[in-house]
Amino acid sequence: MRYRSLQRAIPVLLLPLAGCKIAGAPSFPLAGAYFPSWMLCGLLGILVAVGLRVLFLATDIDALLRLRLFTYVSLGTITGLLFWLLAFGP
Amino acid sequence: MKKISLSNRNPIGLAVAVLCIAAASALGYYVLGQDESYPSTDSGTVDAELVHIASTVGGRLQALNVHVNQSVKKGDVLYQLDPEPYTLAVQQATAGLALTQAGVEQQQRLVAVEAANADIARNQALRAKTNHDLAARTVERLRPLASKSYIPWQQYDQAQVALHDSGITLDQSHQQATAAQVAVGDLNSSIAARQVAEATLAQARYALRQTTVTAPADGYVTSLRVIPGEVLIPSQVLFTLIANDGWFVTANMREGTLHAIHPGDCATVYSMINRTTPIRGHVESIGWGVLSADSAGLSRALPFVPREMDWVHVAQRFPVRIRLEHANPQLLRLGATATVEIRHGAACD
Repeated sequence: MRYRSLQRAIPVLLLPLAGCKIAGAPSFPLAGAYFPSWMLCGLLGILVAVGLRVLFLATDIDALLRLRLFTYVSLGTITGLLFWLLAFGP
Repeated sequence: MKKISLSNRNPIGLAVAVLCIAAASALGYYVLGQDESYPSTDSGTVDAELVHIASTVGGRLQALNVHVNQSVKKGDVLYQLDPEPYTLAVQQATAGLALTQAGVEQQQRLVAVEAANADIARNQALRAKTNHDLAARTVERLRPLASKSYIPWQQYDQAQVALHDSGITLDQSHQQATAAQVAVGDLNSSIAARQVAEATLAQARYALRQTTVTAPADGYVTSLRVIPGEVLIPSQVLFTLIANDGWFVTANMREGTLHAIHPGDCATVYSMINRTTPIRGHVESIGWGVLSADSAGLSRALPFVPREMDWVHVAQRFPVRIRLEHANPQLLRLGATATVEIRHGAACD
C-alpha cells in the first residue's frame, strides 16, 4: 500500500518538470528587480522538500526513512537541479 | 499486503538516504559542469556605438533640423551654424587669390621687360666691341703715317684716345650685359604666393562646409537640449548620436567560463524590454583587459599592494561582445538589461 503511494507520488514529484523549457529570459522581474533563474529553482526545491515531508508524513513513508534531514535536503536539491536542467539548461 | 514494521533501524531508510544524497551530489556535479560549459549571465547590457556630434568650426547655431529621440539617416542635415563669417572668409580668400594672380601677371611683365633689357645690353656690348675693333684698326693704320709725319700727330693722338674710350665702353657694356642678365627675375615667388592664396581659399571653403553638419551614420539623436541661438565653440558636442547600424550586448562572463566561449559562437539574448522574445546573436570578441583593483596604481609609482588575508576570491569577469542579428528595434535601447546564453537557448536550438 505504501509502495503504491510512493509510485503514485512519482508523477507528482515530476509534475514541475513537465513544463520543460520555460519560454523567455532566465530572469524574472518582480517589483522592478530581476531575480535569477537559480533562485526560482532553489525556491522550488525548498517547496518540494517541504511538500514531500508533508506527503510522506501523511502516507507514513516518513517512518521508513533514516537521516531524514539529509534525505529531504537531497530530494529538494535533486528537484531544483532537475528543474534547472530541464527548464534553463543547455 | 504485509504490514512492514517501522523501525528507525530500517536498512531501507538508510539505503534511500544514501541514494538520495548520492543522486543529489552527482546531479549537482553534472549541473556545475553544464553551467561551466554553456555559460550564461543575466547582467548583460545592450550596447551600441556612439558619435558625439560636433562641428570642427564654431559659431551661432542657426538652424536645428532634428529633435531629441529622432531617428536620422546617414547624410541627413542635422544642424547649421551661421555661415556668414565663413562666407566672408571665402570672399576674403577669393580676393587674396585674385590679388596674387594679378601679382603673377605683373611679375610676368617685369620679367619680360628685364629680359628685353638684357637683350639690349648684350647688343650694346656687341656694338661696343665693333667700335673698339674699328678704333684699334684706326690706330694701327695711323701709326706708320704719324711716325713718318704724313698726318698730324694730333690726329694719331685722337685715334688713340678713341681706342682707349672704346675699350672702357666695351668693358662697361660687358658688365652692363652681365648685370642685366642677372637682373632677369622669375615667377617663383609670385607663383608660391598664389599657391598660398589657393590653399587659404580651400581652407576657407572647407570651414564654410563645416557649418553644415550631417549625420555620419543612421541613428538616434540623444541628449539634445538646446535650441537655435546657442553659440558653439569649435568641436563642442551638441548631442550624441546612437548609431543604429550595429547593436551589441556586452555580457560580463566569469574568467572560468571563458574557455567555453569562442568568437562566432551562437548566443541567445533576451532584452528585458520584452523578456519573452529571444534575439539571436553571435560572440564577436572577448575583452582583453579590465582594470583590476589589485593592479591599480600609477605606472611610474611603486605598486600598490593592500594587506589582505582573503581566503575566498571572487572570479574576475570579462566583457564578451555579442553582435545581435536582426533584432526588433523596439527591443534595442542602449543600456537595457539583457540576459545572455552562450551556445544554447531558444535562438540557438
